Amino acid sequence: MIIGLEHYLVLGALLFCIGFFIALSKKNAIGVLIGVELMLNAVNLTLVAFSRFGSAEVALSTQVFVVFIIAVAAAEVAVGLALALVVYRNRQTISVDRTTLLKG
Amino acid sequence: MSDFGFHLAFWSLAAMTLGGASMIMISRNLIHAVIWLVLSMLGVAGLYLTLSADFIAVVQVLIYVGAISVLMLFAIMLTPRAERDNSQNIKTGGPAAIVVMLVMISTLWVAIDTDWGAVREAALTDQARLIGESLIKHYILPFEIGAVLLTAALVGAIALARQDDEDAAVHASSLQAELDGDGSVDPVDVIDPPIPSDGEAGS
Repeated sequence: MIIGLEHYLVLGALLFCIGFFIALSKKNAIGVLIGVELMLNAVNLTLVAFSRFGSAEVALSTQVFVVFIIAVAAAEVAVGLALALVVYRNRQTISVDRTTLLKG
Repeated sequence: MSDFGFHLAFWSLAAMTLGGASMIMISRNLIHAVIWLVLSMLGVAGLYLTLSADFIAVVQVLIYVGAISVLMLFAIMLTPRAERDNSQNIKTGGPAAIVVMLVMISTLWVAIDTDWGAVREAALTDQARLIGESLIKHYILPFEIGAVLLTAALVGAIALARQDDEDAAVHASSLQAELDGDGSVDPVDVIDPPIPSDGEAGS
């Protein structure tokens, strides 16, 4: 059996779903961020798989796109963790089901 | 490409990636979860290498394995009174599982059922040079916007996480009280102990 595009796509889909479940179900805000990171990694893996196996025109632009995604993910993690610190300083918790200040 | 070593690399790296991600879901300790995240990211970097995307693999190791995991560990250490536990939320766990199952079925269906056309045999070579050239020629405007975004995000993160001076004094005193009651951290580590802890020592 030759390992082709479908293998990487299925792997990316499974990784995305695991990250999605972690992001939806974790109590801790940092746990939610970990899930978002896994989802971004799954998308990057899918893009790189298309870069390897897709048509030659998209081979370079998908990799440039992955570089941009990694840069934006780094910015997102920095701001997200700073927000977690601020929420912790004000509420003494970073549990997402106890930060209910906006709940009616 | 269909040789034994490639198969071994793909399946072991896939097991590493998915196993690490599953252990994040299972593990109860948040610090362990970050360590499993590092394992999973390393597996993804190896998968980039099997896709002959060497530049992306190096960037993945540098940024995700190196920087982001350390940043997450810092954030966990800086929130000492928050629970370390990484447990599932009982209320959202059931609906989340249903939604995730639907997403998984649909994405797997698309990935397997679609005819993706002819597979290109030759991989892109000399990628670092090509990516760098296209970043400063064709993608110069997104590149500059990304630079501004990173600068603004990091300055914003520092501005958010920075404590005011009177804020810091209150925080330090409350932290000291917490550490005295907790007893899990060596009091020598605290720089400025403002609360006399003579009453606490005996209890």
